[in-house]
Parts: sequence; C-alpha cells; structure tokens
Amino acid sequence: MRRMGYPTEKKVVVIPCSGIGKALGSVSRDATYEVVDNLRKGVTETTCLALIVSGDEEALRLVRDNRCITVDGCPLQCAEKNVRFAGGDVAASFRVVDALRENRKLKPKTVTFLDHDGQQLSAVLARDIAKKVDELVEK
Amino acid sequence: MVDLPEKKVGVISCSGEGCVEGTISRVATRMVLEQLRPDQTVTICLPLFLAGGEEERAFARYYPTITVDGCEKLCAKVGTERYSGKAASSIVVTDLTGNPGCSKLPSRRQLDREALILAEKVAQRIAQEVDEVLKHWR
Amino acid sequence: MSEYLQTVFDKFELRVRKGYYYTEDGIWTNVEGTNVRIGVSDYAQRTGGDVAFVDLIREGTQVERQAEIGTLETAKTTVSLHSPISGTVGQTNATLVGKPELVNSDPYGDGWLAILAPSNLEDDLKGLMSAEEYFQLMLKKLETEHKKLESG
Repeated sequence: MRRMGYPTEKKVVVIPCSGIGKALGSVSRDATYEVVDNLRKGVTETTCLALIVSGDEEALRLVRDNRCITVDGCPLQCAEKNVRFAGGDVAASFRVVDALRENRKLKPKTVTFLDHDGQQLSAVLARDIAKKVDELVEK
Repeated sequence: MVDLPEKKVGVISCSGEGCVEGTISRVATRMVLEQLRPDQTVTICLPLFLAGGEEERAFARYYPTITVDGCEKLCAKVGTERYSGKAASSIVVTDLTGNPGCSKLPSRRQLDREALILAEKVAQRIAQEVDEVLKHWR
Repeated sequence: MSEYLQTVFDKFELRVRKGYYYTEDGIWTNVEGTNVRIGVSDYAQRTGGDVAFVDLIREGTQVERQAEIGTLETAKTTVSLHSPISGTVGQTNATLVGKPELVNSDPYGDGWLAILAPSNLEDDLKGLMSAEEYFQLMLKKLETEHKKLESG
C-alpha cells in the first residue's frame, strides 16, 4: 500500500546502541531486530553504529538520506548522539531505560542471551518503535 | 594517584547488526568474558570507545587489546588503531568461516545451532589469544 | 591535590570523596553547617546499575539511624537505602524524579539524595566510616567479590 508523504523508496533506519556491557544494550539490539525483521519489515532497515562512527560512506549516506530512529540502552545515549553528530536525521529516539520505567516489573539481568524479562521488555519496546515508524511514514 | 590493576586484556568486539557475524562476534566475546576468561578480560564497548568514552579509551591506552570483527569492514580493529594504538591481536569472524563477507546463515538475531557452534569456536580462539597476550606481557 | 581517593578496577575508575563519612552499604554523609547531605558512593552506583527510579521518604519525616528512607530501583535490582544518621528529612532531591541517571553520572554532586537536619550528629558520625576506611573496604570487596561491573 502506498503511503502518502514518505517516498516508498525510502526507509526508516533504526539504529541501536548495542552496548555490549549491559543487558539494556542487548534489549536495544533485540528490539531493533524485532522491528526491522518482523513488525515493520520492508519499511525499516538497520545499520551498525560503529560503521557510522567510523565514517563508513554507505552507512553515512543511509542515515543522512533517510529518517532515523535511535534506540539507546542507557542514558549515555551513544546512538542518538553519534547519529546526530554524523549528520543523520534523527526523527525519534528511544531509551530502553525509559521503557523499563514504564514496565517496572521487568528486570532483565542477562546480557549475552536475553532472559524472559529482557525478551518481554524488548517486545514492548519494539511495539512502541513500530508505532513511531508508522507515524513517520504517514507524515 | 591511580593504581594500575593486575594484568587484564581488553576485548573490543563489533556488534554489527548487519549480519549474523556481528552477533557471533558479540556472543563469542561475552562467552570469554563470562565463562572462559572472566578474571583476565574486560569488554570495551565499541561505539562508546569510538565516540570518545574516557574509561574505554584509557583502558585501551594502557592495556593490551584484542579486537573481534564480524566482517571485512574491521570497525573494531581500525577504531582501536586510530584511538589507542595497534591491538595485540585481531580476529575476524569471516576468516574463521572461510567465507568472505556476510554469510548466508539465516538468523542474525538469535543464533541457530550452526551459528552457536561457530560462536563457541570464535570464543575459544579469543581465549587462546588472551593467554598468548598475557604470556608475553611484560 | 585530588578531592578523591581513587582506584581502577577493570576499566572503571572508582572514587571515594575525601572528607565524607560512609556506611558499609555506600551511603555517604557530608556535614554542611547544621545539616547533612547524603547520597550513594561511586562504588554503590556502579554495582547497582543504571538507576531507573529513586523513591525517597517524604520531606519532614523524622528518621532513626539505619531506618529505611527509600529505594533505588535499577535496571537489575531494587536497593534499600538506610539513613546514616537520626534526624529530620529536610529536602529530597526532586531532580532525581525526572533524571534518576544523575545518581550514576554524578553520585557525589548533582546525584545527591537528601538533606537532613541531624538530631544526634556527633554520636552518629562515630558509627560511620571515614573516607579512608570506606576506601579500604571497597578495595577488599573488589578483591574478594570479583564483580564484573557493568559498562556502557
């Protein structure tokens, strides 16, 4: 279905921080995959934050030519800050810690492979990101 | 005055979302950190390191590092050399698979059995490199 | 001269503010005129993880030393906070409602928790550790517990 306002050849680029030291970094990564590979497949894309920060031309072109959603694990907000610094069009930014605040019972503890709480938090966050994707595409 | 702690090796891994090798790189590094060499290793968060994270860069300046990259773009290796000097050792997952570039392994999000076996292999390789680095560290 | 005693564990620099008093759990106390300001130590925030909520007792409440005065809810656990002194809670740090991360990023500064009017300060301070004593305790904990501190 063609959506008004946002060119069909463009995608919304979702970039997680993927922080390797914390469970919330793993949640950011998993939620991104859920959006890009399932919930909004075909409308969204992802790329590596490290490529953007390193100055990879292809990655930079992607974030500069498309609207971006950043997903950060913690308040350091590496993804949002670095995508902005690289000239990316950050249309929305999410922090996993904020999703945690809205879902107090969930306490993800494991980093390498998400535990049940981590998976639940990822699913909740992914749905919120997907809604934002819809808003961006409708504009 | 800051005391330098005992010998540790910093493992700097990519977590590239683009293909499954990034996930393998990440999981293998975590296996080393949590199970294989927990007392000898520290993980360095690559995006934070590249963006100027003080603790990450300070550690990499004074301690040996091992970089683990998923693909030929070598974000971890190149970034480490740029900001703190040559890594003591560098591992590229695609070198271990024998396939250049991103593989056709199906899932980049959750590793299937084949990818998990590869992650364990990479983890063992990282652990061996940690041992070598520590052996030669004066 | 540095305001802190400091050490490095893994890649983390852990600091203990000189001149403050400490409980074993890592609550610091700083005497400011007739009041005291309290907060959590660098080591305590690092081991607790990213703070998502800070819930503190109401202003005006009288507390006994070691009574619970609130909780820090982090990404991985909930930590009880116990008052280092007896007194009345004069002010709690309202900024932490919207920015709980200040506890992590600036534990000895903007991440302070509360200001109390003490009722038995001289005796209560004798029950607390000096910065040097807490620093040694922290080193011992790092050595024996081999914590993998969370990173970015």
